[in-house]
Amino acid sequence: MKNKVLFGLATIMMVAFLASCGKVPQAEIDAANAAIEAAKTAEAAVYIPAEFAAVQDSMNVILADVEAQKSKLFKKFGPVKEKLTAVVTLANQVAANAAVKKEEVKKESETLLNDIKTVIEENGKLILKAPRGKEGAAVIEQIKADMATIDATVVEAQGLFDKGSFMDALNKIKAAKEKADGINTELKEAIAKVRR
Amino acid sequence: MRLKRVWRNIFGIIISALVLTVLLLLLRYFMPRPPVEKVDYARSILSQASSSSAGIYSRRLFKDAESFYDSAMIIWRRENEKFFLLRDFDEVERYAVLSASKAEEALRTAKENVTSLKMRIEQRIDTLNNIVAHLNKLFTNYPLSANLRNRISKGKLLLKESEIAFSKEQYLQANKKIIDAEYLLTESYKSAVTNLEEYFRSYPVWKGWVEKTINASKSNNSYSIIVDKYSRKCHIYHNGIRRHAFDVELGQNWVGDKRVRGDKATPEGMYKVIKKFGSKHTKYYKALLLDYPNETDKAEFRREIANGSLPPTARIGGLIEIHGNGGKGIDWTEGCIALTDSDMDVVFSIAGEGTPVTIVGSMLDLNEVLK
Repeated sequence: MKNKVLFGLATIMMVAFLASCGKVPQAEIDAANAAIEAAKTAEAAVYIPAEFAAVQDSMNVILADVEAQKSKLFKKFGPVKEKLTAVVTLANQVAANAAVKKEEVKKESETLLNDIKTVIEENGKLILKAPRGKEGAAVIEQIKADMATIDATVVEAQGLFDKGSFMDALNKIKAAKEKADGINTELKEAIAKVRR
Repeated sequence: MRLKRVWRNIFGIIISALVLTVLLLLLRYFMPRPPVEKVDYARSILSQASSSSAGIYSRRLFKDAESFYDSAMIIWRRENEKFFLLRDFDEVERYAVLSASKAEEALRTAKENVTSLKMRIEQRIDTLNNIVAHLNKLFTNYPLSANLRNRISKGKLLLKESEIAFSKEQYLQANKKIIDAEYLLTESYKSAVTNLEEYFRSYPVWKGWVEKTINASKSNNSYSIIVDKYSRKCHIYHNGIRRHAFDVELGQNWVGDKRVRGDKATPEGMYKVIKKFGSKHTKYYKALLLDYPNETDKAEFRREIANGSLPPTARIGGLIEIHGNGGKGIDWTEGCIALTDSDMDVVFSIAGEGTPVTIVGSMLDLNEVLK
């Protein structure tokens, strides 16, 4: 009788052991979430949105997998752990890529800002050399208005750049640079025409 | 006896194992199953929708889909915490299905919205580029107020920003910029056209002068000169037929009639050449002096002094010429009409003292100009 009781207890313990042998890899989940958060802080969603979305999707797959395992009688979290490790690596890579891309955009914005300031300075000198008779004329008035608008846009773009919004700054500077270059050409042509 | 007991134990173990296996199979069979495939499907559609920027272009539907998916996961987690035989995944399935359906709708509408937004922006960019081309063509040399010029500048820069955002497929930003640009440019264009309409009010008078000049050329079988200030052309007529058309440059404030000395305006009226100056007698290569101010100009000047629209100290202008040294591409004279030296040679050779010179704001009416 004693043997039968012991045997029954052993069986129940074995079933309980089998049913609960897999433990949710909470530490790995937390690590993956932290890595994704770090990628987000590195503005991966702004600079490399597709890569960031891919990491988030991988994490969602894993979280669904975790719940699927938790719903089973015999849980198995080994593959999930491996996937979580891969997500941490991927998220770290995405954060690094975002930082690289951000630096690229920053450099491009910085170069364009310096270039445009040079063009604006040159335009300021060119307008003084523009034909005397041109002063007060409609064309020069429009050029002056365009130059003032470009100046304001550069100030706005510089503000965005200083705030770290390099992507927003870049679009503004590009547009302003194109306009400033256009004015530069127009003024040079007008001066050359008068000299002829 | 001992052997018998051993056999009995082995038999017991086998039976227990069998019972346990059957028990486990039964448990597995009766255990509630989570809707793994449905959740997976919802997630994959959500992922596709996200890649298609549904979060931006079908925001509400995408947010709903995300929210339903989150609910499914939360309920799933909560159910998993219960004793396994008491779990119920119906709600999980319901939310997963709802999420998938919303995500599908978000994906579809995002694609539609992007297509239509893209088309709308493209059309607006085209329209505004046309307006800018019109503004450049009609008003580059036309004096507009500083405020209007600033608005045009801002509009043009916003249009450029919109084009850049559009080329980067940032359609929402492009749309925002194009709406602002549209407001500035269309309003500025309307104001500028209103301004031009004001200037063209004198068109019936100009038309009469032009007809008279051409008819005189025909009936006298002689040369006549007509200067069209708006199109900046100097037309030479002989026997009523146009023989030449030359580009001209005018006074800096060419819009409107000349009123007073130093206003840098080119006068409008019917004049004639009163003196020819060869290259030794003018600093402008060659010149034809006109009889400005004529009697009509003098009468108008006196009227303006009398009604106070001009100060009593004002002096009437003079020495208006058609001369050379032109081709600068700008309006630079004090009110004269400048041609290139080679064009001036032609005009100088055909014009004599008494040759009629009619100066009008425009030979075309405003509708033709706007076309």
